[in-house]
Amino acid sequence: MMNTSSVKKTVTILTAGLLISSLAWAQTPEERGLEIATSAQDQDTGFVDTVSAMTMTLINRSGKKSTRRMRSRVLEVQGDGDKSMSIFDEPADVKGTASLTHSHATDADEQWLYLPALKRVKRISSKNKSGPFMGSEFAFEDISSQEVDKYTYRYLGDVDLNGRVTHQIEAVPAYKHSGYTRLINWIDQERLVAVRVEYFDRKNSSLKTLEASEFTQYLDKFWRPGRMEMLNEQTGKRTILEWSDYEFQTGLTDKDFDSKALKRVR
Amino acid sequence: MNVLKLSVVGAALLGAATSVYAEWETRGNVGLQVQFFPTEPMHRADQSSNASLFSEIEFYTPIGEDASLTVTPFLRLDQHDEDRSHFDFREFVYARLGDSWELKAGLGKVFWGVVESNNLVDVINQTDLVENDGSSAKLGQPMINLVLIRDWGDIDLYVLPGFRTRTLPGDDGRPRLPVSLDADNALYESADRSRHVDFAGRVSFAFDQWDVGAHVFHGTARDPQFRFNPASASLVPYFYQQTQLGLGIQATLESWLLKAEFVHRSGDEFTDHAAFVSGFEYSFYDIRESGADLGIVTEWLYDDRGDDADQPFQNDLLIGLRLAMNDEQSLEGLLGVIADLDEGGQLITLEGSRRLGSNFKASVRLTIFQDVVNDAAFAGFDEEDNLQFEVSYFF
Repeated sequence: MMNTSSVKKTVTILTAGLLISSLAWAQTPEERGLEIATSAQDQDTGFVDTVSAMTMTLINRSGKKSTRRMRSRVLEVQGDGDKSMSIFDEPADVKGTASLTHSHATDADEQWLYLPALKRVKRISSKNKSGPFMGSEFAFEDISSQEVDKYTYRYLGDVDLNGRVTHQIEAVPAYKHSGYTRLINWIDQERLVAVRVEYFDRKNSSLKTLEASEFTQYLDKFWRPGRMEMLNEQTGKRTILEWSDYEFQTGLTDKDFDSKALKRVR
Repeated sequence: MNVLKLSVVGAALLGAATSVYAEWETRGNVGLQVQFFPTEPMHRADQSSNASLFSEIEFYTPIGEDASLTVTPFLRLDQHDEDRSHFDFREFVYARLGDSWELKAGLGKVFWGVVESNNLVDVINQTDLVENDGSSAKLGQPMINLVLIRDWGDIDLYVLPGFRTRTLPGDDGRPRLPVSLDADNALYESADRSRHVDFAGRVSFAFDQWDVGAHVFHGTARDPQFRFNPASASLVPYFYQQTQLGLGIQATLESWLLKAEFVHRSGDEFTDHAAFVSGFEYSFYDIRESGADLGIVTEWLYDDRGDDADQPFQNDLLIGLRLAMNDEQSLEGLLGVIADLDEGGQLITLEGSRRLGSNFKASVRLTIFQDVVNDAAFAGFDEEDNLQFEVSYFF
């Protein structure tokens, strides 16, 4: 039989429990989504710079393949979008071509292209977000610097995916000229990286699915995928990105990411 | 014994050759071009078709930590026109790169322009006209170039010891004027002729969406005037001395690119003039979610000398359409019409290109000189409409 004090205690615990659960309820799915997106960004903060190589394989519906190869450099910019440079090695007719992007969280990105045969640096419009990158199933907006402010979020739930627990979060582009009405991200709970993304086109039909795999952790903190596969559900075309030769904190500076550096880059 | 010696020497040579080869990064192409001229000229017998082979290869090697050597030989062998068969070093240049400076010496290539039609400000390299590629093919220019990189922008200083005369089609070449051109006996205002040392300086900077480049150039004009030589019944290029002040501006505003190039060239009473090219480029991206882009280019080309100008675009309007499919083969098309607002003639070009497999690229170009009989610059090209095919192997 309970005495008065133990009853009081039970009531207090129950009340506290109710309070805690109502606090949890007070966090809307939007707040929870933003919280997870923010912690994913925090998890990736401090990498300073990276250098990597990428092979891109385009596979059409009948299985015919074509290959592109490029190298990329990224400089982390605190409080804004990153700066990145890509140098193309294949196909051979674009060998030596290089592109430079200064991405911004909310303002329009700035972009330059270097055409080696003409020795010409062209400043180009960054309005093209939804167009294909190098004829692949990746749009420019899929491979650009991902900033928290670029989307609004909604937490959908936790689901198991390939044996890992993930947060499922819907993201709606907040920037102009996106080709998507929304994305659904599957964020690995432990590593805080997207392992699957489903893209919905302007008619809100499922368009593409991205699967990221073969993750490696660098500097005991930063997870990077070794492989990404984008499947276009509507055309059956696929693009596989394979990353290699990752290096972190190589000493790159702002000067390695201006239009002059674009001309110098090999 | 001899066999042993030979194999030792052979192995050593092979080793040296491969080690040298391994040091060089290469990038280049080799291709075949075929041209067709459907109209047979009335007053001369000319070829109705022409074939040529061409190759350009860039060899690059780093020298130590911060220097490099780039050697880019170019060769074209033409079936009929001996003046179009030519070899050039597009580059043979040593470059040394510091943190806040660059130094280049040798035969170099520089591009300064922003507009799509006629780059008035792009004055360093001579046009390789026989390439029949508008003004985008350039000859390597002897230069010493110092670049000072500042926080606000760049300062470029050039000493240009020596002048390259413009390549001109020979009597068996097409397209060309009905009269012979004599590039070998070019005339110069300067007594130093092609050995005149030219100087140039340029500042370039960007603020916000604006890119600005301003320059001064003093030396031999790249665009020749032509003088008739009655003895040889030919036109001889005459290169005068000029001081050119120029300005190039581009604003990049989302789908709009606003562009302008201005030059003022002071020489003597005949050559003193101002000219500009100004216009915009507007792009539609990812049209109807197809991935394709369509760009519209409009530029006004003006030269205050009018019909006395030594270039054809004295009061002309360019309307261009550029379609990029952004597909796996990079299929692209370009339609350009440059209409003369004074004389009514039109220069029409229609181009298409695509990749074949991973190393080949094919292109086609149709050029039509429409209603040019009254046009001072293009009247002679009335019968020179042509269709050109090209297949190149890239490596």
